[in-house]
Amino acid sequence: MGEQTAPAVRPTIAVLFGGRSLEHDVSVVSGLQILHAIDPQRFAPIPVYIDQMLRWWVGDDLWHNEAFKGGGPDRSRLIEVTLSPGFGTSLLVPVSLLATLGDRTPSGVATAGGGRIPVDCFVPVLHGTFGEDGCIQGALELGGCAYVGCGVGASAIGMNKRATKIMAAHAGVPVVPWVSCERAVLDRGHGWLTDLPARVGASFGWPVIVKPCNLGSSAGVSVATDADELISGVLRVFEYDVEAIIEPFIKNRLEINVAVAGLDEPVASVTEMPVTSQSTPLTFAEKYKRQGRKSIGSSEGMAGALRVLDPEQLPVEMRAAAQRHAVAVFATLGCEGISRIDFLIDADTNELYFNEINTLPGSLAFYLWSAAPHYWTITDLLARLIGRAERLRAMKRGLQRKPPAELKLLG
Amino acid sequence: VTEFWPWVPILSAAYLFLAVWRLLAYLRYFQQEGYEHRRFLRWVNVRSLTDPAFWLSVVSAFLFLIDTLLAVVLFTVGAIVLGLVQPDPRRSGKIPLRLTWRATRVLVVATVFAAAGYVASIRVFVDVEVRAPLVAASIMFALLPLALLLADAVLMPYESAVQRGYYREAVAQLRRVQPFVIGITGSYGKSSSKAMLAHLLQFHAPSVAATGSINTVMGVTRHLREDLVPGHRFLVVEMGAYAVGSIARLCALTSPSAGLITAVGDMHLERFGSTETIMRAKSELAQAVPPGGLLVVNADSPNALRIARQFADRRVLLYGERSAETLATRVEDVRFTKDGSHFVLRTARQTYSCFTPILGRPIVLNLAGAFTLATAVGADPDVTVAACRTLKPVSNRLEVVEDAGVTWIRDAYNSNQFGFRAALEVAADLPATRRFLVTPGVIELGPDQYDVNKALSRDAAMTCDHTVVVAAANRAAFVDGHRAAGREDRLIVVSNRSEAFAWLHEHLHDGDIVILENDLPDLYERSAGVFWPARQQAGT
Repeated sequence: MGEQTAPAVRPTIAVLFGGRSLEHDVSVVSGLQILHAIDPQRFAPIPVYIDQMLRWWVGDDLWHNEAFKGGGPDRSRLIEVTLSPGFGTSLLVPVSLLATLGDRTPSGVATAGGGRIPVDCFVPVLHGTFGEDGCIQGALELGGCAYVGCGVGASAIGMNKRATKIMAAHAGVPVVPWVSCERAVLDRGHGWLTDLPARVGASFGWPVIVKPCNLGSSAGVSVATDADELISGVLRVFEYDVEAIIEPFIKNRLEINVAVAGLDEPVASVTEMPVTSQSTPLTFAEKYKRQGRKSIGSSEGMAGALRVLDPEQLPVEMRAAAQRHAVAVFATLGCEGISRIDFLIDADTNELYFNEINTLPGSLAFYLWSAAPHYWTITDLLARLIGRAERLRAMKRGLQRKPPAELKLLG
Repeated sequence: VTEFWPWVPILSAAYLFLAVWRLLAYLRYFQQEGYEHRRFLRWVNVRSLTDPAFWLSVVSAFLFLIDTLLAVVLFTVGAIVLGLVQPDPRRSGKIPLRLTWRATRVLVVATVFAAAGYVASIRVFVDVEVRAPLVAASIMFALLPLALLLADAVLMPYESAVQRGYYREAVAQLRRVQPFVIGITGSYGKSSSKAMLAHLLQFHAPSVAATGSINTVMGVTRHLREDLVPGHRFLVVEMGAYAVGSIARLCALTSPSAGLITAVGDMHLERFGSTETIMRAKSELAQAVPPGGLLVVNADSPNALRIARQFADRRVLLYGERSAETLATRVEDVRFTKDGSHFVLRTARQTYSCFTPILGRPIVLNLAGAFTLATAVGADPDVTVAACRTLKPVSNRLEVVEDAGVTWIRDAYNSNQFGFRAALEVAADLPATRRFLVTPGVIELGPDQYDVNKALSRDAAMTCDHTVVVAAANRAAFVDGHRAAGREDRLIVVSNRSEAFAWLHEHLHDGDIVILENDLPDLYERSAGVFWPARQQAGT
C-alpha cells in the first residue's frame, strides 16, 4: 500500500462501522466506502468492525465486502479488541493475547507491544443508535481520542427529532409543527386512543406522518389518514422507540438536502433532490435495500441512488435559503464533521421547512461535494476533517481539568 | 506388496486432505440439524455414496490393477481437485457453517476418527489386498458422516456437563428476574401464537419471547441466559411436545403461571402412537399451571377442551368460533380482503371490531387466544385491539403479493391440510376473475396421505378454476379427487415447478389469483452445494 513517497510514519486512522442499530448493514456499506477513500499515501487506515453485540474486531478480512455476507465476518479470522482504558492512551488492545499469536494481526499499521494498535484518529461511520447518538462519541471522549464528526451533545440532539426542531426553530429556521406522544401513555390506560387523534385534529388535521423521535432511518415511519391509522402508526413506532413525533403530512412535497462540512467555518454543499421524493416517504427498503444491493464497498452505494444535484426547477433563492438554514442548524447544534440537513418543500405553498439532520449521513454525503462550487473529493475532505479532529483534540487537551486551588479539598 | 509401500504416504496425505474438507461440509448440516443424530442421518441417507470422492477411490482401486502409477496419480490429483472445487461450507449456502467451539471440537475428534479408521482399514486389508490404502479410502469416504456422529457421541459427557452449567445459569436468571411465565403448546399454531402474544403484550409491559420456533429445553435455556433481564415482566415460552415428558421438563425449568393451549390434533400421531398419548403430553402444561392459575384454551379443538375439563380448578378461559361452550372470547364475522383479515371479537362485556394485516382463519383464531390471554393478565383490550393492526405478515405464509395485475397468494410453508384449506378459503373471499392453485399436495401423513389429499383436491376443484398438481407424490389422489368432484377438466398435471410456471405464464390474465400452496422447498440442497458448486437455479 505504501508507495515510494510515503512519509516515515503514517498516522493510523481507525474507521468504525457496523454497530447495534437498524442501520448496521448501511453502516457497513458506508464504512467500507470511507475506508477505501482514505488516502493510503498519507494515512494508514484500519477497519474496525463493531458487531451487533458492540464487540470490536480488527483483521484484514474486514477490507472486503464479501466477508460481511451470510451472517457476518468469520470471527475466527479476526482479533477482538477494545479501546484501552485511561484518558489519552488511544490504543486498540486485544481482548485476549492468545488471539494475536496467529497471523490475524491487521497488516499495514504500526503496532505497539502485545498486539496493541495506537490510533491517531477515529472515523465513526456508524448510523443510528449507539453510533450516531453520542454513545460511541462518549466512549471516544473518555479515551481522550481524536475523532471525526459531531461530539456527544450535537450527536445526541441531532438524533432527537423533537430537540432538533426546537433548536432549529430557535435559530429562525422554519419547522413543520408537531405533536409528540411518549411511550409512557401505554401505562395510563386507553384514554390516549381517543385523546391523541383529537389533539392531532385540533393541531393540524389530516393526513399526518408518524415517525420515531430517535431514529435516523425510515423504519417505523407511516402515513395516517384517520384515527385508527394514527394509533397503529404510533404503536408501530413504539416497537422501535420511546417517543413518536406526529406532523402534518405534506401531500405535494419535495425533499431537498444539503450537506454541511465543519471545517474552520461551516461550509454548505450544493443542494440535492432525491428523485423518489414525490408523494410518499421512503420506506426503509426503498431507501436502502434497492441501492444497497449494488455491491457494498463500491464507490457507488448510496451515491448510486437517483438524485438531482442543484435542481434547476427550484428557484435559486430557495436553494440558497436551504444552504443558509443548513449552516444555521449545523452551527446552532454545534456540529462537526459532515452532517446532512434535509428539508421539505410544500409544492403548493412553495414553503421550505427543516425536516431532520443526519449527523452521520450515509457515505458521509460525499457525492454532494463533487459538484460546484467545491469539487472536493471525499479523499481530500477526509484528510481535512482528520486534521481538524486532531486540532480539536489538542485544543481540548489544553482545557483545565485538574481541580484548581479552591476546589482542592483533599490537600 | 512391498513395491506398493512407497505410495502409501502420498495416498494417505491426499485422503486426509479431502477427508477433512468433506467432514467440514458434512459438519455444516450436522450443525444445522442441531447436532441431532437421527435427523442428521436422515439427511445423510446414501449421500456419501454420491460423493465423487468415494467413486474416485473406487475407480482408482480398480485402475491400480492395470497401472499402479496412473492410479496413484489419479487419486492424488483427483483428491486435490475435488478439495479445491468443493465450496467452503464456512462461506457458502443459505446457512454457512459457524466454527463455534462445539463445531471445532467435533471436527477435530472426527478427523482423528477418520484417520484412525483409515489406518485400521489398511491394517485389515493389508495382507490380502495390495490396494489396501485405496480400499480403505473408499470405505472411509462412504462412512465419513458417521465419524461426526461418533465424535459427537464421544464428546457427549463433556457437552452435557456444559449444558447442565447453562441450565443452572438459566434457572438462576429466572429466579432473579421472576417474570410472569406464559407457556404455549398445541399441535399447530404455537409459534405464531407466541409471536402474536409477545407482540400484543409488549404494549402492556416489558415482555420477552424467543424468536422463531425455539421450543426445546436447550433452546429455551439459551434464550433465557441471553435475553431475559431484570425488568422483564412477562416471559412467553413455546413448548414443543416431542415425547411424553418434554413439556414437563420445560415446565420444570420455567414454572409457568399461565398456559395457552392452541389446538390438540392428531398431528405426529406416528411419533406418539395414540391420541391419548398426545393428550397426555399436551396436558403437562395444564398440570404445571398452579391451581387458580390461568389456562386459556381453544374450545374449537375437542381434545384441547377435554384437557381444560380435567383441570377445572384452574382459571379456565375458552376462546373459539364454532364451539357451543360459553366462551370468554368468541370470533365472529371473519372476512378476508387483500389487506388482511377483518373480524369481531365478542367478550362477556363488549364486542371489538378488529383488523389484522395477516390472512387466514387459523391466524384469526390464534389471535383470539392471544387476545384472551393478554387481556386476562391486565393488557388494555382497546390498546390490544389496536395492536392487532400492527402485526406483520410472515413471508410465504398466506402472504398476498400483487404483481402486474395478478394476485399471488404465497403459502409455501404451510404444509398441513388446515393451512391448505385456509388458503382456499382466503382465495374464495378475494375478488378474482379466475382462481388457480399450484401445489404438490401435503405430505408426511403416513397411511392417511391419499385420503387427505383426495379430500383437498375435491375442495380445490370447488374453489379453483384450475389446479396444477406438481410432482408425482400426490398425483393419483388429486386426479381421483377432481374426478370425484366431476371436474377432471380443471386439473393440470405437471412433473415439476418450472413446468407449472411455464403453464401459468401461458394462461394467466389480469385479475387472476394464483395460490402457491406448500412448495415443498428442498430443505436441503442436493449433493450440489455440498461436494461441488451448485449452479444458479433458473426461473422464479
